[in-house]
Amino acid sequence: MSSKKSNLKSEIRELHKLLQDALEVEHATIPPYFTAWLSIKEGHNHESKEIIRSVLLEEMLHLTLAANLLNAIDGKPNLTHPDFVPRYPHILPHSGGHFEINIEKFSQSALKVFLQIERPEAKKALPEAEGFDTIGQFYAYVKEKLDKLCDEHGEQKVFCGDINLQIRPEDYYGSGSVVVVTNRNTAHDAIETIVEQGEGAHEGIFDKDHNIFGPGDGKELAHYYRFMEIHLGRHFKKGDTPRSGPHGSPLKVYFDEVYPLSMNMHKSDYPKGSEKRKALEKFSSGYNELLVALEEAFNGHRSGLTEAIARMFSLRNQALSLIQTPLGKGKGTLGLDFTSPTG
Amino acid sequence: MSKHYDAVIVGGGVIGALTAKILSEGGKSVLILEAGIEGAMKPSNYQKYLRTLYTEGGVRGMPNGPYPWNSAAPSPAIPSAPTVRGEDDPYFVFDTPKHFMSDYLRMLGGTTLHWQGTSLRLVPNDFRMKSVYQKGIDWPISYDDLEPAYRRAEYELGVSADVEDQIFFGVWFPKGYVFPMHGLPQSRVDHYFKAALKKQSVRLHGGQYPLKVIPIPVARNSTPNPKYGIYAGYDPVSMVSNRDRGLRCQGNSSCMPLCPVQAKYSALKTLNELENSSQVEVRTQCVATRLILDEATNKIAFVEYNRYQNPDSPRHTVEMAKGTLIVLAANAIENATLLLASGSSPKGLANSSDQVGRNLMDHPYLYTWGYSSKRVYPFRGPDTTSGVESLRDGKFRKVHASFRASLSNWGWSSEPGHQLSSLLQEKTYGKQLRKTLAENMARMVKIGFMFEQLPSQKNRVTISPDYKDAMGNYRPVFSYHYDSYSLAGAEAAVNKVWKKISECAKIEDHTDYPDPAPSGYQRVSFNGKSYNIMGSGHIVGTHRMGRNKKHSVTDRNMKTWDHPNLYVVGAGNQVTIGTANPTLTAAALAIRAAEAMLRELQ
Repeated sequence: MSSKKSNLKSEIRELHKLLQDALEVEHATIPPYFTAWLSIKEGHNHESKEIIRSVLLEEMLHLTLAANLLNAIDGKPNLTHPDFVPRYPHILPHSGGHFEINIEKFSQSALKVFLQIERPEAKKALPEAEGFDTIGQFYAYVKEKLDKLCDEHGEQKVFCGDINLQIRPEDYYGSGSVVVVTNRNTAHDAIETIVEQGEGAHEGIFDKDHNIFGPGDGKELAHYYRFMEIHLGRHFKKGDTPRSGPHGSPLKVYFDEVYPLSMNMHKSDYPKGSEKRKALEKFSSGYNELLVALEEAFNGHRSGLTEAIARMFSLRNQALSLIQTPLGKGKGTLGLDFTSPTG
Repeated sequence: MSKHYDAVIVGGGVIGALTAKILSEGGKSVLILEAGIEGAMKPSNYQKYLRTLYTEGGVRGMPNGPYPWNSAAPSPAIPSAPTVRGEDDPYFVFDTPKHFMSDYLRMLGGTTLHWQGTSLRLVPNDFRMKSVYQKGIDWPISYDDLEPAYRRAEYELGVSADVEDQIFFGVWFPKGYVFPMHGLPQSRVDHYFKAALKKQSVRLHGGQYPLKVIPIPVARNSTPNPKYGIYAGYDPVSMVSNRDRGLRCQGNSSCMPLCPVQAKYSALKTLNELENSSQVEVRTQCVATRLILDEATNKIAFVEYNRYQNPDSPRHTVEMAKGTLIVLAANAIENATLLLASGSSPKGLANSSDQVGRNLMDHPYLYTWGYSSKRVYPFRGPDTTSGVESLRDGKFRKVHASFRASLSNWGWSSEPGHQLSSLLQEKTYGKQLRKTLAENMARMVKIGFMFEQLPSQKNRVTISPDYKDAMGNYRPVFSYHYDSYSLAGAEAAVNKVWKKISECAKIEDHTDYPDPAPSGYQRVSFNGKSYNIMGSGHIVGTHRMGRNKKHSVTDRNMKTWDHPNLYVVGAGNQVTIGTANPTLTAAALAIRAAEAMLRELQ
């Protein structure tokens, strides 16, 4: 830590950039998790489907928490700039760049990528400005920066955002409670929720006493271990550790009870004006309208979240009919394109 | 001898669960004996019942539709029940005509596994019908007495409403009170009627009554009200064992009988809260058969019950449960038949007043329907979100029943079959069929009128040695009819109120009561006109409370007059039925009773 007092304005500006990155990182997991979840046919793989859904919902909470953090320090959450929705395959920023994320159906290879995304923070890894290996390290860096600024300039100067922009528990529901961020403590709460739901409490990777559970009632596994259960086809039980692996009851997974949607489909895969192209365009416009609605909700129009949720239901139905559209014998079904209509 | 509990509760529905919750919060030990199976409490079973509901069309529209038959602890109106020659139902026994058409469910969670969720309070005059209108009798308690318990019930059930909509006919709330959650949004159907009936009124027996459409309070999760503070804020309660589901009503138009995400309250939620309590033990598949009296003290010494392993077989073992207090919370019918089956006298126990099983009341229910003048897009949201509540009280109650009109969000019925089959008969096919269906279905409106009934000695449930179930327990035998007070209400509803509503809202009336009445309806004639009436499942009155032991079964705290350690709790305590769907009131009564029990146990 430098002994010289930092420049508040420029430091806050860097934090704005980092938290905008956080928004984008959290969002980038939503299309792939959503697609894998939706691809699982009803009635089969009920447990796997619920597991992926629970993670997907928590990523939506994380997106909202990142927006609250950004608003708390007077930033401006942006969900609509041209690159906000990445083109898949996509390399997740601040993840070490070791793996690509795809928009693909539920499968072992998709699960392997999901495990990479949620990989727990390495033991005693120091927060770094660039090239974080895990999302946990990235947030640790954000937290340390926030703490340093609070120490030097006082909490009030750092958390100078408009409190009315904060999404509150009455606005948001599901996957635990949203945290209204107004000071150092609540910022810590928000960051811990994100990190612990994802990776578990960081006692060190695969340590004997590493806590595989996230926050809350102690019954919920962190994302990484939830995905591990599906990957290995077995539940964790009380007393299991990361090193021991899961020793609970078996979890039956049927990888063929899944809609065979095409990976990383893009509207340009079909000629302009064709039926398939129109269907893909309609979904991508709908998805990007949803992002507009969310951006408005994060920028003062809180009640708009309710309407955004109605859009989510209708998009789910639209997406389902896309991935049920066959492309001919042996060619699977249509996929999903989340990029902006012009992207 | 088995463990001695502070309280043994018979029945694991909403009344038993709330009583157990309050007693255990006070540090008391509780045993709940549930006659039915664990059933829907198990998440995989809940999903199974949902699948049955979605895939077996025949069970739709039936409150007990998705639930399995249980020969050891039967429930009425189970579609998969074996048919018995010459009998309407393998469990209920009817005199003729079969006027009593309501049901309930014997399974852990009870009838909240098929209720609608409507959570209206009674209005103050419902408690004093005799002194105000010279009809029925007065309660031993007033609205004011029950008001605090209503608030607690609204917390426990998770009721969504806005206070300003609910202040009418003297219903009051303490200053600053808000419901746990804001009201659900009103549907397009609601807005259509609201606009059409603005400033409209109807004349009933010399009085002019507005036709005011207001949102109804429901036990369905909605947006929490941040101002709610009585019980330290309100967190909507999720689906049992899935904290991510059911935190808001999603508007699935399929929540009767089962909400797909459990945004609608059921007693499963309260039971789930008690799961880790060391104070509460729940035993399912235990049918209480008799209360055993200690002649010396006149107290109930034991509850005798039959424990069975297999719902398909009457085989069981006989066991006893012992408690300082004994609480019957098995619903108005089962509470009554259990009392009648107990003791050595033919009158049963707790029955020195001879009122056990009598004063059986329900809300006779009548539909009217038609096409609206513009599209209202039904089949969205819960089955009802608003009602005309302005006819629930008034001087006309000296002459005929009060009533409420519930606006249906689900068109003419829960299925388009009615419309579809008539179009097919007209040989409409293909695009034309789709177009006509879309056009017609978007304009379907239906109103359900429910009428109050007066308490009557003749309307009763009783038991007979001639009618027993497979395990040898008494089946309920009904003697029940509608009187002219209710039917005159129905006449006013159809001929005055529906007429006025359909005029103002430009409804193309399609109301038709075919003869013979379809299954589930009873044909009733009054003043030269016939109506097809059904039951509401609002079963009340069979062990009413009262001021003295001569005319009532329990005192104002629901303790029986005859036995110093026996409470009988539930909608059966209601003295009159009013026009509120009874679960909220029954829950409030249970809360009042449990508080009295706690005082007694201290």
